[in-house]
Amino acid sequence: MTTTAEETTRDGQAVKRPSLPARLGRLLLHDRVALLCLLLVVLVAWMQVLDRGGYLLGPYDAAYMAAALESFVPLCVLALAETLVILSGRGGIDLSVGAMVSLTGMAFGFMVGEWGWPLWPSLAAALAFGTALGAVNGFLVAVLGFPSLIATLATGYAYSSLALVSNDNAPISTKPIQDLHELTSMVDLPFGLPPVPEQFFTFLIPCVALVWLLLNRTAFGRRLYAVGTNETAARYAAVSVSGTRFRAFALAGLLSGAAAIVTVGQFASARPDAGTVGNGMALPAITIAVLGGVAITGGAGRVGGVVLAALLVVWLNAGILLYFEGSAGARFQLLALGLLLVASTSLNAPAGRRRRRRRGPAGRTAGRA
Amino acid sequence: MTALARPLARRPAAGAIEGQEAVLIGVIALLWAALGLSVDTFFTASNLQNILATVAPVTIIGVGMTAVIVTAGIDVSVGSAMAVVMVIVARQLRDGGLAFAPAVGLALLIGALLGLVNGALVAYLRVHPIIITFGTLNLYRFVALEIFDGREVAGVPGTLGPLGGGAEGRTLGLPHSWVLAVALAALMWAYMRHVPTGRHLYAIGGDAEAARLAGVRVTRRLLGVYALTGLLAGLAACCVIGGGGLVAQSAGTGMELQVIAAVVIGGTSIQGGRGTVLGTVLGALLVGTVTSAVTLLGWPNELTSLFIGVFILVAVGSDLLRERRRRSL
Repeated sequence: MTTTAEETTRDGQAVKRPSLPARLGRLLLHDRVALLCLLLVVLVAWMQVLDRGGYLLGPYDAAYMAAALESFVPLCVLALAETLVILSGRGGIDLSVGAMVSLTGMAFGFMVGEWGWPLWPSLAAALAFGTALGAVNGFLVAVLGFPSLIATLATGYAYSSLALVSNDNAPISTKPIQDLHELTSMVDLPFGLPPVPEQFFTFLIPCVALVWLLLNRTAFGRRLYAVGTNETAARYAAVSVSGTRFRAFALAGLLSGAAAIVTVGQFASARPDAGTVGNGMALPAITIAVLGGVAITGGAGRVGGVVLAALLVVWLNAGILLYFEGSAGARFQLLALGLLLVASTSLNAPAGRRRRRRRGPAGRTAGRA
Repeated sequence: MTALARPLARRPAAGAIEGQEAVLIGVIALLWAALGLSVDTFFTASNLQNILATVAPVTIIGVGMTAVIVTAGIDVSVGSAMAVVMVIVARQLRDGGLAFAPAVGLALLIGALLGLVNGALVAYLRVHPIIITFGTLNLYRFVALEIFDGREVAGVPGTLGPLGGGAEGRTLGLPHSWVLAVALAALMWAYMRHVPTGRHLYAIGGDAEAARLAGVRVTRRLLGVYALTGLLAGLAACCVIGGGGLVAQSAGTGMELQVIAAVVIGGTSIQGGRGTVLGTVLGALLVGTVTSAVTLLGWPNELTSLFIGVFILVAVGSDLLRERRRRSL
């Protein structure tokens, strides 16, 4: 790590300006967006080198990177959902987003595929359904005072179970559902840009814009940061702590609903285990939020960092698939995700260390009001 | 040291059995009575043995997990750690012809090493344990899959049978694995209740900083509990391999959630500082009973997790209510 010269001295000695590399180092250490931009550039450049050298199974070009955005959409939307919940503080975390994706997807599948509802009312109803699932989490955590880890663990169990039972463990893939695949077709762009999945424009950009506006341009966003930073201070400032936290969870449900619709469209089928198969969607979403610089203790984190982190993970995963043959690729994606998470948290540690030096080891500060 | 041990001893409510345990015993008794009346195959030896044998691995890991959660930590990597142990030990049993004792020793060693990695990361990186162990969950799963190398391990001999759920895993009708789990739980219960370093775990969970200032070696204790949990995950892996047969790539998936469910149903506070291993044993038994009940009643298996979810909410909710009442008194 680069050293920084002392910034101020009490007895009026000359203040040394930190050198340029030191300042750059600090920027990368303290500004997550800058670090992620650098990592993205490094990743793409490295993949280009591997590509030119013929180490890859296929070309890692703009078209491939644009096509990889298909998995970027649900992942990024869920990471934003986690961001809202984690920001709300008191150990906020939502383990149930994957289960909410499964259950909302099944509900959407029933509406469109079995009951023959028209598309637009079904979309609205699915989003409302997701919001309701999130609201249950919010009620348990914000109103009843359950620790969010436990509440969402329990509701995650319940939702995934209901999703599996709802259609006897079978997917819904009737004709109307298969037609939904058009929602997620590739669209051609002007200016020689490669074709991009349609849901990038119809789902991702609205979701990112919504969360960004909420966090940066509304009173709710300010309250959310306030509650996450210091609950007691927020309460003294007449902020409704439970109301704010409740809304964060409900919004996470809404975003999960959006991710569910995208997932149904992508698979052209409503799968009862869409968000819970394997390690599920919740773990990657949390990983991306943390990688994007959202402090697990709440109150700190930006939309830009999370989106960049999601992009980094998706393009890294896409690169890994081209590098390794067969099932090894999926394995190495696990390795990459784990390493990224541990590395990014250990990067967070020195940034906060100066503040915490006197407070001893045992890295727990979360979960306590 | 006695200053730390005393407050609990003085609290009148803190008998050997605290609130949550009494409730749990009641609920389990009720469930068993209802099941005994509605399903005539419930109170058969084979069914009860089956429940105990399936509950054993969860209980064994739960013993360590309780200690981790009491320190206000959590370890979600146990399922992946189990997978690593299972694939290595299964390979050695099949290809190396390992005997019983060395196999168990190997499992414990690998498990403890993996746990120690968690402990070191948690204690030295000062990041919330859930994030660290999410990371190692992925890493260990990668290691396991790398060793699997795309093929499940088939034809594992029954060397570890005495720990498994089969006939040779029982003496006087009781599964060895469950007896072992209960014995370990009893040891841990005594340690956490009566030994100073065990009391320190509660102090760390209550307030790590205050504990450190009071002279508790926080780093060392944290290393200890995570290493112990890993070691017990290794032991649980032996029980799951048991009579041998097939070890699939999905080994251990979802184990962490079952264990955490058992621990919190048992009344251990996820915020740290409160909880007993006894509760965890009962919590695991409750989860096992529910799983078995769903099967016996002929309901879809997927309903099990719905019930587990509801039980978690009810158990933690009743605990919250009691806590609120304690505070308002």
